[in-house]
Amino acid sequence: MSQVSNSGPLRRVLPVVEIALLVLALPLPWILDDFWVVFATKMIILALLAISFDLVWGYAGIMSFGQALFFGVAGYTAALLATKSEVTSIFILLPLSGLVGLVLAFVVAAIVIFGKRIPSVVFVALGTMTGSYAVERLARGWSWVGGQNGISSLPRLTAGTYEIEEGIVFFYMALAILVVIYLAVRFLVRSQFGLVLAGIRQQEGRLGFFGYQVQSYKGVVFSLAGLIAGVSGGLFAFHEGFVGPGQLGPVLSTQAVLYVLFGGVGTLIGAVLGVSVIEMISYALPQIDTLGSAVQEFLETGWPIVLGLLLLATVMFRPTGLIGLVVGDRERIGTFGRRMRGADAKREAP
Amino acid sequence: MSAVPFFFDLLAYSAIFVLVGLGLGVIASMMGIFNFAHGEFVLLGAYTVYVFQLNGIPTWAGMVAAPFVVALIGLLLERIAIRRFYRAPIAAMLGTYAIALALREAVRALLGGRFYSVEAPLVGSFVFGEASVSQWRTAVILITALVMVLCWLLLTRTRFGLQMRASLENAALARSSGISVDRVYATTFAFGSGLAGLAGGLMVPMYSISADMGVPFLIKSFLAVMLGGMGSFEGSIAGAALVGATSAALPWVIKPVVADLLVFVIAIIIVKFRPEGLLSKWRR
Repeated sequence: MSQVSNSGPLRRVLPVVEIALLVLALPLPWILDDFWVVFATKMIILALLAISFDLVWGYAGIMSFGQALFFGVAGYTAALLATKSEVTSIFILLPLSGLVGLVLAFVVAAIVIFGKRIPSVVFVALGTMTGSYAVERLARGWSWVGGQNGISSLPRLTAGTYEIEEGIVFFYMALAILVVIYLAVRFLVRSQFGLVLAGIRQQEGRLGFFGYQVQSYKGVVFSLAGLIAGVSGGLFAFHEGFVGPGQLGPVLSTQAVLYVLFGGVGTLIGAVLGVSVIEMISYALPQIDTLGSAVQEFLETGWPIVLGLLLLATVMFRPTGLIGLVVGDRERIGTFGRRMRGADAKREAP
Repeated sequence: MSAVPFFFDLLAYSAIFVLVGLGLGVIASMMGIFNFAHGEFVLLGAYTVYVFQLNGIPTWAGMVAAPFVVALIGLLLERIAIRRFYRAPIAAMLGTYAIALALREAVRALLGGRFYSVEAPLVGSFVFGEASVSQWRTAVILITALVMVLCWLLLTRTRFGLQMRASLENAALARSSGISVDRVYATTFAFGSGLAGLAGGLMVPMYSISADMGVPFLIKSFLAVMLGGMGSFEGSIAGAALVGATSAALPWVIKPVVADLLVFVIAIIIVKFRPEGLLSKWRR
């Protein structure tokens, strides 16, 4: 952490960014055509995945390189249920996806997080990544779940007798889910629970000396993140009409890391911002034709190279991400619990 | 099938693994950097050989050149980016991941997303009585053994090895004794990358080359290094040999898909209960 200036009134930029993004998102379907609405819906769903990673890494300091595991397995479960036993009701499938993510995350936490010893960050990172990789391999080789090809042409989600098509309705539904989950997570990380998490992130050992059951806190937050990733995975599967082994593996897992790092770790809105910007860059880069045909030809196949270099530059020069450009350290770290009236003034007085 | 070729295959597979794991282990234990780009260094080694073949130069020349080419690339990357990540293991992981992404996609763009095969410099097989073993695999095993011995000599018998171990033990003290720790780190990183490059060069005839060939090696050799225990030369070798042999042997017994899963789960659980590595007790 760099130096945190404690003087001067606290300028609040985060709520402005949050509200601006929401205001920007709300009228989108009325402005854009269908293709873009579907594209934006995909971004919203991926934003949930990014938030789940931000919650574990940005707030609790658990380096999870396996968020896609929960995302993908939940997607697979929902897809199998829809194709094999023809359950398409959103009221069953969505909570179920979340539950699958939650339980699976708990199992993973039981292996990589729980225990007497504090596991090293490297071990957690590799353990989660290995899990993600192993399950991807399993899905690729298991013909009952579609093998290499995954499960395609999923039926649409239904609410009662209404079929939810991708497009405007799906967009608003995903947006509503995102807003609800976002607010819930925001409340969680700004509560006293969030304060403990921040303590764990900064100095895990010391929190242990204070008598906190550090591992249980981490287990809880990891499972909750699994739940969010699960919901995201279920939505994603039905939005794309497809699940495949790629949705389980380390590639998507690290994609989630990339989103959050780029947008800004430890600010939830940074995760959302990261998804939007990276997805748009990924889409736009291959389309650039103002720089001549050679550049365009290179970007058509080579845009992930640019993405990798961008990420490298972010890690090297701007570890606080995009959001760090507008939000100061003090606000990024924030305050916890209910704000007491005059707390700021009292601190200044003596 | 008879037992000799089977064990021979295991040996050859483990040998490749030892080379990959050794390079990763040297970098991880000397510098505390878990290099996510290591799999891509393997890929670059393989790609070098492929480029040589493409231009009509014999593949053995490519295999000789591969470690040096990759070491040079490693050195370059260390100077530009990696050296900013010392003492920040997380940033190092993410930074090297970014490098890996860029390298992998660059090779993918160059290869056009297809698979290519490279011919081994030694074709044919030795025959011992009834059993016959591939010449190239024999060569791989011999080269690996040679490299292992050379590495060990380098670490324990040379001035540079002493400086390396000193920097690992206590960087501040090493620096105050007049060792240029920065230079030692740079050389170590180049050395580890070179080993990956060599492994990549040697393995091309056994695998086909594609942009994603490094990824499975990366994860398995991470596990190998953690199994063996960080910070020890023999630990990395033992861990890599163990993971290599198990993942080559298990598919003969059970379904390959399940075998892979099993290797990972077992490795993770062992590492969980023995974070210092399998050899830690034996060393003391």
